[in-house]
Amino acid sequence: MHRVILAAALACASAAVVLAEDKAGTVKTELYTVVDGYKVDGNTMKGFRTWRAAACDRCHGANQEGLVGPSLIASLKVLTKDEFKTTVVEGRLEKGMVAFKTSQQVMDNLDNLYAYLKGRSDGAITRTKVEELKE
Amino acid sequence: MKCTYKQVVFSLALATTPLAAFANADVEKLTADPKNWAMQAGDMYNQRYSKLKQVNDSNVNKLQVAWMFSTGVLRGHEGSPLVIGDMMYLHSPFPNKVFAMDLNTNKIVWKYEPKQDPAVIPQMCCDTVNRGLAYGEGKVILQQADSTLVALDAKTGKVVWSVKNGDPKLGAVNTNAPHIFKDKVITGISGGEWGVRGFVAAYNLKDGKMAWKGYSVGPDEEMLIDPNTTTTWADGKVTPVGADSSLKTWKEDQWKIGGGTTWGWYSYDKALNLMYYGTGNPSTWNPAQRPGDNKWSMTIFARDVDTGKAKWVYQMTPYDEWDFDGINEMILADINVKGKATKALVHFDRNGFGYTLDRTNGALLVAEKYDPKVNWATHVDMKSGRPQVVAKYSTAQNGPDVNTKGVCPAALGSKDQQPAAYSPDTKLFYVPTNHVCMDYEPFAVEYTAGQPYVGATLSMYPAPGSHGGMGNFIAWDAGAGKIVYSIPEKFSVWSGALATAGNLVFYGTLEGYIKAIRKSDGKELWKFKTPSGIIGNVFTYEHKGKQYVGVFSGIGGWAGIGMAAGLEKDTDGLGAVGGYRELNQYTDLGGSLTVFAIPGGN
Repeated sequence: MHRVILAAALACASAAVVLAEDKAGTVKTELYTVVDGYKVDGNTMKGFRTWRAAACDRCHGANQEGLVGPSLIASLKVLTKDEFKTTVVEGRLEKGMVAFKTSQQVMDNLDNLYAYLKGRSDGAITRTKVEELKE
Repeated sequence: MKCTYKQVVFSLALATTPLAAFANADVEKLTADPKNWAMQAGDMYNQRYSKLKQVNDSNVNKLQVAWMFSTGVLRGHEGSPLVIGDMMYLHSPFPNKVFAMDLNTNKIVWKYEPKQDPAVIPQMCCDTVNRGLAYGEGKVILQQADSTLVALDAKTGKVVWSVKNGDPKLGAVNTNAPHIFKDKVITGISGGEWGVRGFVAAYNLKDGKMAWKGYSVGPDEEMLIDPNTTTTWADGKVTPVGADSSLKTWKEDQWKIGGGTTWGWYSYDKALNLMYYGTGNPSTWNPAQRPGDNKWSMTIFARDVDTGKAKWVYQMTPYDEWDFDGINEMILADINVKGKATKALVHFDRNGFGYTLDRTNGALLVAEKYDPKVNWATHVDMKSGRPQVVAKYSTAQNGPDVNTKGVCPAALGSKDQQPAAYSPDTKLFYVPTNHVCMDYEPFAVEYTAGQPYVGATLSMYPAPGSHGGMGNFIAWDAGAGKIVYSIPEKFSVWSGALATAGNLVFYGTLEGYIKAIRKSDGKELWKFKTPSGIIGNVFTYEHKGKQYVGVFSGIGGWAGIGMAAGLEKDTDGLGAVGGYRELNQYTDLGGSLTVFAIPGGN
């Protein structure tokens, strides 16, 4: 159960948005629900699928820790949700960030993508690859 | 900058020695003189060999910095400058600056900086590299990132002609160096991760008018393939490819977004009037979406330079499941292959096999692993020419959403674009390699024009059970398919090698060292730490009787610093966690040229 404790500790330490921990190993916020650090709610799962499909890892690294592009673990501690959305939609062309406004999947999943990446940044999601929580 | 008469006379004598490859009358004359570095590989055979030997195995330890030059650009610096007489022509990554420098004064005679839409920058992920210029008949040719091909007046930097080679809005951008063969400028296209359909195009050097364009995949006529006379290696012999050789190997219309891009180094044999290059991965990286051999992605093409017609093709990795792009350079050399004098083509593929073919007809002669850790295939069946895939490492057999672990090499290949050198003195090849393995998980993706189209998640790490480093520099016998010696390197060797008549081989490392080894046995004789990691190619020239050796430093590209962050912690293993992660302890971004010489009057 080390991982569970660690996840909970990380989540508490880094995110003020934690709403409840209804049982051991579960982190529930207004954005996401995570169990054992990798089982996530359906919307957050869609966020992960969007991250993968849009090939964000090519620039931001397999674990969101940065590559040619910056670490999203760090960026999402600073960016507001609106700033995040604007960046994804319009890109930051000079810096090499793609404008995803023509990608239907990304546009349909902006909130979900934010939830997934915020969960990673908060430390609540401890693995890059997540699984859908079975109700 | 003094020199002795003896050396001047000696280099003049060398300059008049006839070379095997003659093509464009101007370029062939320029490359025949070893004082110049007139093409990216030094010659049309892609040999990266220089006859200069003022710097040699007995004095290389005295090499010192002669001068340096900053390009003012961060990001990865690939390729090398060109030297024509008293002039040096340098390029930079995006925004693709060009500098013409007078070597007598080190003064910038002219500078060209194109205006390009910054929207191309994100489409060049993972870096905005450019592999350099071409020179011919008083023109400097620049292949810009936004796919514009430009001819500049070498004296003034003024645009002579300019032509659009692709549509960057669809991800069709360029990183490759243009090549001048005969009266044509040959260029390719990038964008295999954006569903771009690859091609090679020839433009007239004189006026920029397109002469021909041959696609990698699709209908015969668009590939410039004649079903009856274009051949391939099948059933142990050279055989016509037959009708619809590409279309038959794709599901429905997937070929239209099927990749097979062409961003490597090309070579040319004047006697055969054939040019050689390789095509890249089929799109997407998820094999489940494109059942079939996906011809002619991952293929060596031999084309007639006048017409573009494909003389022969050979597919190295049918139905790619690992992103083993086939774009690495084709080196032409006349060597003994299994005891027989052969007009050979030698190619170190991303898939980890070193191939030797008969370049006159595409017959497969040798296919052996040039890194013993390669495990995705047991061997290449010499009769069919097909690799024998190991089921456990087949990302297609394991299927989408399954993480296939421990595949060697990683997607960046046992070697990527960093070009090898060939020495006619030793008849050996000197190859910068990667020693990296991967986990590969494909997943379904939908195509959206102008958006990334990848479909796999990868993690890479040093080859397990080895020396812990992520690279080797090897000497290779292409006639036998055997490693002669192998020098372990801490990081991937992502720099193009240079072999010289001075019994030396030079290469750069990602930490930023340029190294000289003794060609005969690989002993390290000299090294120098440049300002940034080296992914450029070492070149040499002679000016006012003195030999210079130079290299771009400026880390970036796929092998760049950031890769450290992509490593999965739990797969590092073996105490090799150092790997790329440690790279940022040695280097940061910054593009510059460092030029070396032996001080004094020799």
